This record gives sequence, C-alpha cells and structure tokens, in this order.
Amino acid sequence: MRSIDIHAHVTPQSYIKAMKENRQWHGVEPEPLDIEPQLEWTPEQRIRDMDSLGVDVQVASTGAQFYNYGGDAQVIAAMHRECNDEVHQMTVDHPERFKGLAQIPMQDVDLAIAELDRCVNGLGMVGAMIDDKVNGKTFDEPEFMPLWKAAEQMGAVFLIHQGGSTLVRPRTRKYHLPNTVGNLVDRAVTFASFVMGGVMDACPDLKICLAHGGGYACYGVGRMDRSWDVGRLPQIPQPPSAYLSRFYYDCLTHSETALRMLIDMAGIDKVVFGTDWPFDMQIDWPVSWVLGLESLTREEKEAILWKNMEKLLGISSE
Amino acid sequence: MRSIDIHAHLTPQCFIRAMREGREWHGVKPGEMGIGPRNSWTPEQRIDDMNSLGVDVHVVSTFSFYYYYDRDPGVILPMHRECNDEVHQMTVDYPDRFKGMAIIPMQDVKLAIEELDRCVNGMGFVGAMIDDHVNGKTYDDPEFLPLWKAAEEMGAVMLVHQQGGQTLVRDRNPNYHLHNTIGNLVDRAVTFASFVFGGVMDACPDLRVCLCHGGGYTCFGAGRMDRGWQVRPEARVNISQPPSSYLNKFYYDCLTHSEPALRMLIDTVGIDKVIFGTDWPADMAIDWPVSWILGLESLTMEEKEAILYKNLENLLGI
Repeated sequence: MRSIDIHAHVTPQSYIKAMKENRQWHGVEPEPLDIEPQLEWTPEQRIRDMDSLGVDVQVASTGAQFYNYGGDAQVIAAMHRECNDEVHQMTVDHPERFKGLAQIPMQDVDLAIAELDRCVNGLGMVGAMIDDKVNGKTFDEPEFMPLWKAAEQMGAVFLIHQGGSTLVRPRTRKYHLPNTVGNLVDRAVTFASFVMGGVMDACPDLKICLAHGGGYACYGVGRMDRSWDVGRLPQIPQPPSAYLSRFYYDCLTHSETALRMLIDMAGIDKVVFGTDWPFDMQIDWPVSWVLGLESLTREEKEAILWKNMEKLLGISSE
Repeated sequence: MRSIDIHAHLTPQCFIRAMREGREWHGVKPGEMGIGPRNSWTPEQRIDDMNSLGVDVHVVSTFSFYYYYDRDPGVILPMHRECNDEVHQMTVDYPDRFKGMAIIPMQDVKLAIEELDRCVNGMGFVGAMIDDHVNGKTYDDPEFLPLWKAAEEMGAVMLVHQQGGQTLVRDRNPNYHLHNTIGNLVDRAVTFASFVFGGVMDACPDLRVCLCHGGGYTCFGAGRMDRGWQVRPEARVNISQPPSSYLNKFYYDCLTHSEPALRMLIDTVGIDKVIFGTDWPADMAIDWPVSWILGLESLTMEEKEAILYKNLENLLGI
C-alpha cells in the first residue's frame, strides 16, 4: 500500500537561516523564529518521519505564511522563486519521496502565471498552493481568468489553503475557532466562487484540490442548490451540487462520518490523501487512520491513499 | 400525521399598517423596509396556506429584521412588545394553530429577561428568537449568562436565527446569495461553538437552544472542533469534554435542503433533537415541507413522526 500526501508543508531553509542570522529576507524583517520544530528539519530528517508515519511521498508546499499577497509583487516574486527552488531541490535530491507545489505571487496575475510556468514546465512541479482570497478578491474575479486558463493548459493542480485571517475572526478569536470553523467556511466560499463565477464552466479541465476536505462545501451544497432552484444563480447552467465532482478534496475532515459523506457526494475518485504535516491540526498517524476506517472499503482506502493522486499527477508506481 | 413548524416568521400587521399609512413606527421610517406579498397576509390567509401545506401549527416568530439590537433599547422594547402582543393575539384567536416565539431587546439583558418573562410566563409563549450575536458579542460573553439562567428557569426555548444578510460571509463575497446560503450556516456553527466552548451549556444544563437551518455546519464540522479542543489549550479553558459531546444538548430544525445532510444530522445529534422547521414564507423555505419529510427514503416512519411533531410536543410539554 502506497501513500502520497498532497497537504504537507515546508518552511524555507533560506528564511530560517536569515532569521537566525538576524538578516532581512525578501522584505521580511528579522523576527524571532516561531515555527514547529519539524519545520527546521532537513529533508533527510523529514523522510525519517515520513517512514515512521508510512507516508511514501509528500507533495511539499511552502507554508501559507509565505503567501504575502499584500507585498510588492516583484519582491514577493523573488521570495517565491527562492522558496520554489528549495522545494525543487528536495524533489531532485529525493525524487521518490517529494513532489513540489509552488508559491506564486497572486497579487500580479502575469507574474503568477510566469512563476507557475517556470515551476510546472521547467521544474516538474505539480502545481501551486494558493489562498482562498487575494487582498479581498475571490476567484470569480475576471482578472484571475488568464491564470486558470494557463493552469488548465499546463495540467497544473491548485491546492486551496487559507492564509492569515479567515471569515470567522471578525466575530470571535477565541477557542481556535478562526481555524476550526474558519478554514472550513473559507473553503466553502472558494468552492462557491469558482462554481458560481462560471470558472468551472469556462475551464472544464481545471484541476482544483480543496484542502481540509473542501470544508463545508459538500455538506452545505443543498442550500446553495436551493438558491439556484429559486432563480438566484441564473449564470450557471446546473445546480452547484453538480459541480462537486469537478473538484478534488483532501481527506482532512477529522471525522469518519464527514469523510464518508464527502466520498458519497463528490465521488471516491475525487478524494486524495492530505495530512497537514507537521501542524498540530494534522491527522495523527494519518495512514493508520485511513486504513482503520470501518465505513470505507479496501478499494476506497487505496484510491484515497495513492491511486487518485497518481492519476491526478499522471505518475505510476507500476 | 400532525406537524408543528418551529421556524415560521411574521411581518407584524402593526408595522404593515404604519408603513401603508406613511407613519413612522418605533423609529422605523416608511420605506425603510420592503414587504413581500406573502409577508403581509393576515392570520386567516396564513392558515389557508398552512392548510394547503399540511402544517397544523406555526410557532410564530417576528421576523429577524426587527431585532434592531443596535438601536436604543428604550425605543426597541416598545416595538418588541407590540410585535409580541400581536403574536399573542394570534395564539389567543387560533390556539390550535399558533404558538408564540418572542422577540426581545438583547442589547439590554435586563429588559430582554423582563420581556421574555412577560411573554413566556404571562402570555404562554414558547421562548424567543434571537440573532447569532448582539452587536458583535457572541453568547459566551458573561453579560448574557443571567438571560440563559432565566430562560432555563422558565423552560423557554431560544431559537437562534441570523439577521437577514448580516452574516460572516458578506465581507468576503457579497454575490450569489452566499451571505445566506453559506453565511447562515457558518453563523450557526459559531453560535454552537460560543455556547459550548464558552461553558454556557455546562452552567445551564437545562437550557433549551434550538439552532435554525439544521444548526448550520455544526454537526458536519464538529470533528475539527474536537481536534482543536484536543490540541489547543485555549479551546479547553471552559470545557472538559470535547465539543461533539454537546451536540445532543441542542435542538435543530430540519431545514438542511439535503437528505444526506439531514440524515447525518439525525445520526450525529440523535433523532430526538431534530424538529420540523420550514422558514415560512421566505423563498429559501422548504417547498411542500411536510411532503418533503414524508417522502425521504432514508428516514423511518418513526423518525418522520418524531421530526414532524413528537419532538416539539415533548419539548413544549403539549
């Protein structure tokens, strides 16, 4: 049984080194390093942890704190190039263990396309991880359409993952709710923005993977359908639920019943393995968790753990 | 088969009269608020519609537009009193068809308790409908505890229902009716979390809270709240059990617009906690709601009876 984790993060060594040496790094002023100890590990240490967890491949993404969409596009483009080169080096040194997801400067769509192209076509990366929003704009904004078209052409995968403030924070900052509720509602709004903005109709081959199981998208789609039924969404030809199977979702639901519902609604071929390594909100012993789920068949577990990702990435272990 | 609808709204005739006569009404100026055709029906017209839908009883709540928590409580208390008196008259004129749900001025907890007491103990109301927050404050705020204690003492039901439009989603994407289709549902999840993580459900073990719209994303998303509770000290400051263990302390209406979602709600919270609620007469209401419930293939006849009337009869002691 193989396993390929699409939701596993990296903190750039170049950033860590700069902070330790009290140096500025692409506009980031020296700050006390406040990261999980695992994020300081070398790729070799990381591989030992993957071995203990039973994870064969991490699709490594530079962490969301490095989005910096609010920064100067040229400065951040240079930051992202350095991040991506590091991830690329991991995939060169350990091609069997790492694949790469890029960071791209979404505040400038032309630069974002250029960096995605460099990473996917030049460096063999899988795609890019992006936030749910760009300086307040959602992905139904027409300015992003050239990026979706370019990604579709490249076969690139977008992994959607919040960064910074979620929608819950204006109401409450307590009890970790900006994460435990916020991540999930942000993902539902992103699903809705792609669907109701017509992006999925305009780009039928666009590959989008919604982290955290797509949040509340699958559970809440009935109410979105109702608004389509009563004529509030005239711009799309089908109800929102018809688009559920157009997306990919990681399995990070922290709930067997929720995962079962996700599989039943989106289709077993759309759910991929994702753990959120190495954060405290990750799945503990994620391979064991999936293997131990009583409501999933053996075939479904294989599909989630590696088969769907192999198909999505066009790779084969055979 | 009987049916009792806990989620049915009223636009008060006293308000409609004032608007038609061009009079100001408790600080609301003529033209400030639109009135839909069905909203202006008389109690008799409403009963005709209930008959056609097969609904025996409406637990009538003055619509959420009239919360006005941000206005002078000295002005809003008389408004709410007039609304509640009108609902009371409906229950006097048609005791077999209407029960009352009060509206109370939450911006002044002392006045809110007094009006709740007047309605519940004085006029036989079921409880009160309230927003998910009061001028940005959530219900874990200690200032509300006297209200919960008083409601517990009275056996009053607090029906939680957002104020139209002002949900957490609007800031991100104001399009596609998402403030309603996603916003209502995330607001309800945050309210569940505020009651639970804030320790209110421990402090008031007999408090009866009914979460509209099936409790929103609560039951689907409880797994991630549990994970947050496990790993984050700030999520454990008030509670010693995981949040999912509180799911069966709440009531939920059946307004999910999705059979799999309703099935998951029942399986997660218990069949005795799900009650009939339709959102009459809004466009986001369930069409032919009794028929919808009766036609659901994944529910047993006993479950349908529990939802349509037995649970609410138990809850109301009728």
